[in-house]
Amino acid sequence: MFAYILRRLWQMVPTLFGVMLLLFILFHWVGGDPSYILAGKSFSAETLANIRHQLGLDQSLPAQFLIFARQVLTLDFGISWSTQQPVAEILASRIGPSLTLALPMLLVSLLLSVIIAAIVAYVRGSLTDRIVTLICTLAMSVSALVYIIAGQYWLAHKLGWFPILGWSDSLATNLWRYIPLPLLLGLVVSLAPDIRFYRSCFIEEMGHDYVRTARAKGLSERAIMLKHVMRNALIPVVTSLMMSLPYLFLGALLLERFFGIPGMGNEVLNAVDRSDFPVIKAITIYVALATMLFNLLADIVYKLIDPRVQLK
Amino acid sequence: MMKKRMLVAAITSLFAMGAQAADINKVLRVAFNVPETGFDPAKVSDTYSSAIIENVFDPLVSYDYLARPAKVIPNTTVALPAVSADGRVYTFKLKPGIYFAQDAAFKGQKRELTAADYAYAIKRHLDPTINSPWSFLVDGRFVGADALVKAAGKGALNYDSPVEGIKALDKYTLQLTLTEGNYNFLQILAMPAFGAVAREAIEAYASNTNAKPVGTGPYTLKEWKPGSKIVLEANPNFRKMVINGQTLPKVGRVEVSIIEEEQPLWLAFINKQLDISGIPQAALQEALAIDPKNPLNVKLQPKYAKQGIQLERKKDLEITYQFFNMQDPVVGGDAKEKIALRRAIAMAFPRSETIAAIRRGQAVPVNYVIPEGVAGHNPAFKGAVKYDPAAANALLDRFGYKVGVDGLRTLPDGKPLSIEMATGTSGIDKQWNEYWQQAFDSLKIRLTFKYGKWNELNKANRQNKLQMWGLAWGADYPDGENFMQLLYGKNAGDANSASFRHAEYDRLFEASLKLQDGAERNRLYDAMNKIVVAQQPWIFGDTRIRSSLAHSYVKNFKLHPLLNTTWRYIDIQK
Repeated sequence: MFAYILRRLWQMVPTLFGVMLLLFILFHWVGGDPSYILAGKSFSAETLANIRHQLGLDQSLPAQFLIFARQVLTLDFGISWSTQQPVAEILASRIGPSLTLALPMLLVSLLLSVIIAAIVAYVRGSLTDRIVTLICTLAMSVSALVYIIAGQYWLAHKLGWFPILGWSDSLATNLWRYIPLPLLLGLVVSLAPDIRFYRSCFIEEMGHDYVRTARAKGLSERAIMLKHVMRNALIPVVTSLMMSLPYLFLGALLLERFFGIPGMGNEVLNAVDRSDFPVIKAITIYVALATMLFNLLADIVYKLIDPRVQLK
Repeated sequence: MMKKRMLVAAITSLFAMGAQAADINKVLRVAFNVPETGFDPAKVSDTYSSAIIENVFDPLVSYDYLARPAKVIPNTTVALPAVSADGRVYTFKLKPGIYFAQDAAFKGQKRELTAADYAYAIKRHLDPTINSPWSFLVDGRFVGADALVKAAGKGALNYDSPVEGIKALDKYTLQLTLTEGNYNFLQILAMPAFGAVAREAIEAYASNTNAKPVGTGPYTLKEWKPGSKIVLEANPNFRKMVINGQTLPKVGRVEVSIIEEEQPLWLAFINKQLDISGIPQAALQEALAIDPKNPLNVKLQPKYAKQGIQLERKKDLEITYQFFNMQDPVVGGDAKEKIALRRAIAMAFPRSETIAAIRRGQAVPVNYVIPEGVAGHNPAFKGAVKYDPAAANALLDRFGYKVGVDGLRTLPDGKPLSIEMATGTSGIDKQWNEYWQQAFDSLKIRLTFKYGKWNELNKANRQNKLQMWGLAWGADYPDGENFMQLLYGKNAGDANSASFRHAEYDRLFEASLKLQDGAERNRLYDAMNKIVVAQQPWIFGDTRIRSSLAHSYVKNFKLHPLLNTTWRYIDIQK
């Protein structure tokens, strides 16, 4: 396994290079010229040239790419072109709030959706299954924005159960006071598709021969579900989980904007809006690295769940 | 003996508190709907950053909070400056005993404000390594400064090199000598961007001056989470400032949240998570009872009036306009058929409808390049063309823009006529585009949209790649010159987005620079406006009217036409 991990890590190098190249080309093609933002109301050719010089945008593209490569190697992306704050500081201050919301949301959503999916798969075809499937379909047809707007209006404003928005320096205050409503709405948005997806995973597994064999052996339904079906059905669950983990870093844009959570979602949007390439570079590279690492982790977890899986 | 010691200690502590009147337990909670960028006065120009800068730094002169129209008054100076007869030499006398906020950069010493601090602050706007967004206000303005800038090349300015035009005559006397007479220069100096900075603080935080503002203003920056939260606390070193018998500032802490979405902004205000707020577009009808016959006649909806919520309104010192690229072969130029095309498009645009529908009636039409409230405005001048699509079509027919077999007009030479309009991608942009499409459809002219981010469209315009685009200009200072320069030939491609070049307009503009505000200058402005009407480089848009609300416990709530904020005057009495 160690050799496998080393090989996979080595394979990440060309992948990361590809990401860097794509990002670099895209930014220079459609990313916008930040000098026109930084110039304020003064668009004299001299001012614009000075700004481009200071940002290094007057250097040749290969020279700029080399600077980018050096930044990736050192993981030091310099300062934000927009606010002139160190990129590392910006990201460090944003990641905490994003994870405070996204991590509980992911875990609670995963737990609830797997349990509900397993139950409705077990009673497949029953009224309960049909009702849950119908509710999920209806829930998925409504935009996330509608849940957020309606939830904030009714639950926070009209009923006064939660604050409209806010954030504190205290984790406990955030978890107790400011996170519950966005968490609840985030769950409402994510539960329906997850339940449907995991339900189909369970149903597929329950149709396999080994389940029939287990029943023929006289195993209880509970043992079949928990010991056999659950274990095999977890493979797609792990895949889905690992795929979503890197995006925790990006935060939940809409929830953060509506509930005043100073997370990464807003930072990404502002960086793109202001053509703030150092911030865009840092976020893209970190998400790319996280994606590759979690993919590797997923492969290792497959092996742990199912010994038949061979890592080659 | 003990009692005497206690008395001395009490008196000493009172003096140590200085003129501090602010109650640290009083917190004012406000919101910005756009993120700020930083707080170095020479590095940023956006409204939201300027609002913070205004409270941390002190310009030489400022505005009377209560006087209307806005009136420049001394701020850190003992009086308004002595100005030479030709308007070139301004001499300021600073009040002694004004101190910067305590900061590590001063190594434990109290740091007094001096004339040299203002000289340094002004020079920073000329520094090529700073790229001040306000450099257009100082470039070429001071005697001897050009040589200093030239000597710097792309490097830093030599701040120790004397400049004849920016001189500290002694500790408290600053003399500014302009290359040409300028009578609105005080208004420029009243801008937050020209607040005093201490050189040692700037140098101590050279790598991050945006996050370390150190000034003499009423507040200091306590906390900054970019794009999320800004906290100001009353500056204990702030000089004694008394208005109407009240020592300022009253509120000890100002918390600014960045709330970009309209619903949470509005709900946070009505749920008292914010003390003061503007009214988001979507909540206008919820908050205001707007008279359908006269939408400018508004009052609070009864349910909010009953709560004692206060409403303040102000007409922005701004204009919006749609410009034509005057260098473009299709829509530009001064040939009669080109003017006719521009005029016809202006006549087909339903401005009253957009004011009613998009602005919800909370705007007035622009009829003059200079808006109301700015020196030089002429309310009697009606420069906007009348909405008349039928007459617009007749005008196009007359100048040879014939309707082809496809039902669309062609150029007089028979070539296809298609106009591209630049636009953003927001929801409100889409609403505007629908009205423009309607106007062009009524003229049977093909219209396409070029979508882009603001900076990209700006770049395209500088490269002469746009045909039409809508912009707004807000007053940097309340003088007509700040608006009339938008069509000055030498500013083409810069502030003059239309690249309008008209010899007579330029001659009149240059003549107006030599005059003070008054009838003679107004006559020149009228003549320049007539040229604008005749040439139609712009389609006049509107001037917005903003409504702001404050809860009943907010005292001294009054908007100012030029100050971004009035936090130092506000009191909270819950």
